[in-house]
Amino acid sequence: MNFARQFFALLRMNLAGVTQRAGAVLTILIGVTCAVGVLVSMLAMSTGARLQALGDVRDDRVALNSIGARRIMSNITREEATATLDLPYIRNGSDGKPIVVFESLVPIEGRRRVSGTRIYFPLVGISANVTEYYPEIHFTAGRMFRRGLHELIASDACTQFTGFELGNQRALRGIDWSIVGRFTQGHTHQCIVYGDVETIMATFARNTYSGVAVMLRSAGDYEAFARAVKDNPSLRLEAQPERAMMEEGMKSFTALLNFVSLFVGTIMALGATLGAVNSLYSIVDARRRELATLRAIGFAPAAILTSVLCESVLLALPGALLGSAFAWAFFNGMKASPFGFTFQLAVTPALAVLGIEWALVMGLAGGLLPALRAARVPVTAALRAT
Amino acid sequence: MKFVPLIWSGIWRKPGRTVLLFLQVSVAFALFGVLQGMKTGVEHAVAAARADLLLVHSSLGLVDGLPLGGIERIKSVPGVKIVEPVELFGTTYQKPNQGVGVVAIPPDKDWESAFTYHIAPEYLAAFKKTRTGALARVELANKYGWKIGDRIPLISTIQKKDGSRDWAFEIVGLYTDSDIGPGNDVIIINYDYFDEARVNGKSTVKHFNVAITDPKLAATVADEIDRRFANSASETRTESLRELAQAQMQSIGDLNFLVRAIVAAVLVALLFATATMMMQSIRERIGELGVLKTVGFTDRAVFFLILTEALAVFVAAGACGLALANLVFPWAAKIVPGLSMPASVVVVGLLSAALVALVSTAVPAVLAARVKVAAALASR
Repeated sequence: MNFARQFFALLRMNLAGVTQRAGAVLTILIGVTCAVGVLVSMLAMSTGARLQALGDVRDDRVALNSIGARRIMSNITREEATATLDLPYIRNGSDGKPIVVFESLVPIEGRRRVSGTRIYFPLVGISANVTEYYPEIHFTAGRMFRRGLHELIASDACTQFTGFELGNQRALRGIDWSIVGRFTQGHTHQCIVYGDVETIMATFARNTYSGVAVMLRSAGDYEAFARAVKDNPSLRLEAQPERAMMEEGMKSFTALLNFVSLFVGTIMALGATLGAVNSLYSIVDARRRELATLRAIGFAPAAILTSVLCESVLLALPGALLGSAFAWAFFNGMKASPFGFTFQLAVTPALAVLGIEWALVMGLAGGLLPALRAARVPVTAALRAT
Repeated sequence: MKFVPLIWSGIWRKPGRTVLLFLQVSVAFALFGVLQGMKTGVEHAVAAARADLLLVHSSLGLVDGLPLGGIERIKSVPGVKIVEPVELFGTTYQKPNQGVGVVAIPPDKDWESAFTYHIAPEYLAAFKKTRTGALARVELANKYGWKIGDRIPLISTIQKKDGSRDWAFEIVGLYTDSDIGPGNDVIIINYDYFDEARVNGKSTVKHFNVAITDPKLAATVADEIDRRFANSASETRTESLRELAQAQMQSIGDLNFLVRAIVAAVLVALLFATATMMMQSIRERIGELGVLKTVGFTDRAVFFLILTEALAVFVAAGACGLALANLVFPWAAKIVPGLSMPASVVVVGLLSAALVALVSTAVPAVLAARVKVAAALASR
């Protein structure tokens, strides 16, 4: 008998006995399901957060920051901001003027409608051509804010807070601002409020912008544009592509989430593997005589070893699928806002594949020692011990 | 006592299996300890935050500022002992990713009583004397090896009168902070010097710290301060440090659901694994149990024998897991501030371990108690 025939015969025998060993089999299945389910659900957080941050990124959008400063920490003077309008390679808008937006960001504290929890959301003072810079903005109600007026537009996600219905008045610095429009912006589930940048800066007594962003004629112009910014002596600014800026902003957040997920996932996988080792040992022990008989009639130890390993992996794999399915059913699309940053959890095929990989490792690691024991059953001793 | 050797030999009947089971339970309770410890540790930290220290900040949140002139209006509120203006800004030290937070305060008399800082008297005196002086948090000074007398260059986005954005402060002392606040990398500098040197935002502060005469008055004083700023261009919200800590912790509150789901998944998986293992073990031992009964052990004695075996293993493993979690805590504390494992988590953990042992062994133990002597001996 060759190896393959022996192997398949053994595997069929192993799997046929599954129903008689329901307890041990379920232990492996449930252990792996829980471990993979937890791992995938937790990684769904950082995946969802990344998807939201990078989902709308365009390579022709570039941010200008004060040298050495992160996005919202920039202090850009009016002279510097005006000088950016004359930079080359910038695309012209429908009005023939370059698409450059000036921003002034004021974090505002809001209260959750249901729980009353406080959470910060950005009030972004921005130039009125923002809809050309962010074409993914779509109005769901109302209209754009008007320059020079105390008007705000709020993203649909702001419904989690009170006071963002169309026509509502909000007092900021003793002045009543009215909500005149509601919009969605691409993949984001964050509450964002836009208003006219000059009006907001006047209200909050600011005279520097916290950021300037430009849209290039094409993504390929980035290198030349960045050089033009660097070589301009009147600008203390540096260019950064939108993608790099978003990646940088997400890095510490996703690193934290990934660390926690993998930490918890590893511990659970360890537990599941130990459970699998124990169950498989008990299966092998219960089959000592059977295995000895097989050896006596000529089955090779290698075939026995591989068949037990394969059984372990086959028992672990459904656990991975079940775990991913549970994670998808319970958590996919759920909104979470840990640390005040709102996003949707996303269970993606890539995560399911990762879950399957982990299950394979758990199955192999858990099956190795029991498989070795099965292959080494001493034939004579096992047959004599009746 | 006479049963101890019997229980001991029962536990070590199959050493490999017991060791694996022990490890599995330890791992599960290590995770339990870390997750629950995080949750309870955070709750303890909130309860420990001071309720008698008020923070007056803009009603728009902690990022928007208030005019310095508001200080007189707060001082005149009955029950207020000391009011300290506080300005905050971010800087970087040497590298863009080495942030240092700066707290600017005027070193008035007894200013430190409006904060949670602990500062030695000689440092306080030196800070008051040195206009460009700074007090560094001990952890920060250790991180970069700063010593008293060092001059620390910091880069900010805040412009000075001379046009540069580079600031330098002389370390005149060190301090520790009992608050679970925003991190370790913080220095305290002189507000008067800072305000004079900056170009923009002069005479504004981020918030006022208010120490009150009687902690019981906290709510009354807070309401009165906010009333005095109502309908002005800078409305305020006054909160105690405890309320702020609560709000800060609520922002990670959405994770509580996840923590609960994970702990549930861990316990379900564990329960199932151990129950099967116990069942298997009893089936293998039917012959031995028959012998025990033959020599006079009652059904009840056998039942408790099996139960005690499981309890011993599980509780020991649970304790081992919690101890492991405790070892991990110094690490995890870097991510979530204020981590600790209070006694309540240890107690709940050990009780849960006992519960898992009882639940997973109940059925096998009943089976063991019901073993019929004749059948058991015949099966050998």
